[in-house]
Amino acid sequence: MSKSYTDKDEIRVALEWGLEWGVKDMIKLCNVSKVYPNGNVALQDISIEIEKGEFVFFVGPSGAGKSTLAKLLLREELPSSGEILVNGVNIAKLKRHQIPYYRRGIGVVFQDFRLLPDKTVYENVAFAMRVVEAPRREILRQVPAVLHLVVLAHKSRSMPSQLSGGEQQRVGLARAIVNNPPVLLADEPTGNLDPETSWEIMRLLVEINRRGTTVIMATHARDIVDAMKKRVVALEGGRVVRDEKQGTYSCEETKSLEEREIGGLRKGFGLL
Amino acid sequence: MRLSTLEFYIRETLLSLRRNSLMSLASISTVALSFLILGLFVLLVINLNHLADTLEAQVEIAAFLDSELAEEEIGRIAREIKALPGVKESEFVSREEALERLRRQFGERQDLLDSVEEMNPLRHSFEIKAVEADQVKVVAQEVAKIEGVAEVKYRQEVVERLFSLTRSIRIAGLVLVVLLLMATVFLISNTIRLTVFARRREIGIMKLVGATDWFIRWPFILEGILLGLLGTLVAVLILSRLYDWVVTSIYSSLPFIPVLSPEGIMQPLTLLLLGLGFLVGAFGSLLSLRRFLRV
Repeated sequence: MSKSYTDKDEIRVALEWGLEWGVKDMIKLCNVSKVYPNGNVALQDISIEIEKGEFVFFVGPSGAGKSTLAKLLLREELPSSGEILVNGVNIAKLKRHQIPYYRRGIGVVFQDFRLLPDKTVYENVAFAMRVVEAPRREILRQVPAVLHLVVLAHKSRSMPSQLSGGEQQRVGLARAIVNNPPVLLADEPTGNLDPETSWEIMRLLVEINRRGTTVIMATHARDIVDAMKKRVVALEGGRVVRDEKQGTYSCEETKSLEEREIGGLRKGFGLL
Repeated sequence: MRLSTLEFYIRETLLSLRRNSLMSLASISTVALSFLILGLFVLLVINLNHLADTLEAQVEIAAFLDSELAEEEIGRIAREIKALPGVKESEFVSREEALERLRRQFGERQDLLDSVEEMNPLRHSFEIKAVEADQVKVVAQEVAKIEGVAEVKYRQEVVERLFSLTRSIRIAGLVLVVLLLMATVFLISNTIRLTVFARRREIGIMKLVGATDWFIRWPFILEGILLGLLGTLVAVLILSRLYDWVVTSIYSSLPFIPVLSPEGIMQPLTLLLLGLGFLVGAFGSLLSLRRFLRV
């Protein structure tokens, strides 16, 4: 699990993402709606639970609310109503200075890779560790290991422009997991790739998931979703239209759970 | 802050300076120009103050005595002057001494004085100094009332005019410097804004991987400070050369004008300007970060 680089920061410890307080569901959305200031309703009354170690697809046409969901999970946006609990913590209640520490628990992969064009492959991956002030020792150990995992060790000195799309996305993947986040959020990671390279990426995502990371992937690549045989949550017009786990959980229970967890955190760390 | 983080900051800052070299150069030049003018004003005001102080110390009241006075009369007048409030010191100048001084002032044209040598037309006098410059007038009036004092002269107008000149220069300089500093802050903040814009990808990625707000801000603040300090450094170098030159030329051609030596004045001025450059740079980038870097 993730290393604690800043032990003194309590929220880091609180969000160590373990299950010390008996939280079964790592991520829990309860009746979440999102209405943007321009009146656009992006999500309506969404309730989803994601367990630790799960591999979940979010599918649906453009505008179904997939990217809004990602923004909510990254706490770039706040839900208009409803609650998002991550490890039992209502992330809407995180203070501004706690948000970065929360985000360190979620690795993100994008459709357009978002690599830094003037940094080498190695530097791009190391960058994610530098900005969370990881010790140099840790960087020297971790970056080559992750590059090895995505089979790019031999290209660590290349610039992103010298790589193929699939290779660039593998760099993106390496950057997303280099800090050992418990959750990996992939937003259309294969959207810009041909089928063959897409499968390379999927193979890596499965490998990362096998090592214990919860993987959430938004996509509209039907063939991939069908072949993977993983949990699928289908969104349309901001609503969940299909979810194998639908109805297996209730949000009444969540309310009391949330209060208990927040109380537990408060008692344990004197925060929130 | 970790050492490796500091290293990271410095590398990012230098990279950004290079990437925005033209804009950085413009900021550095503006800072240099503003601080050069600021420095010139400070030097001018300090020197004018020094000049006024020197002249003030020289403000004397000359009390000329009636021509035929006995020794004891002179002694009485001396005591009466000393007893007056506001008198710092008084010195008796005999007519012989006065002539001697005149002789020194005339230098090579001693022949002009030869004719008066026989019958010295000068009078005995007291040279009186007041404790405060603004008391000179009162003291002079009091001295004039003493019996045996024929005439009182003092020169205060020069000093008063000099003081009011210094005051106006100080105010004008202050206004100009404030305007220039504002322009400097604005330009630095604009440069930083461009840097933020050029690096928005990096900033986005930093936010997503969980960099703290301050981690993201520091390189920009450092860049602002660096711009401020570099500009100030240029200004200080030019200023010290310029002042050296001015002081040397004044010493050689107008030696009676008292100027402060560069040694004593340039060091504190450099520290002052560098400190101010630091603040202006930091303030400029903070201003820009508040508006353009919502992290």
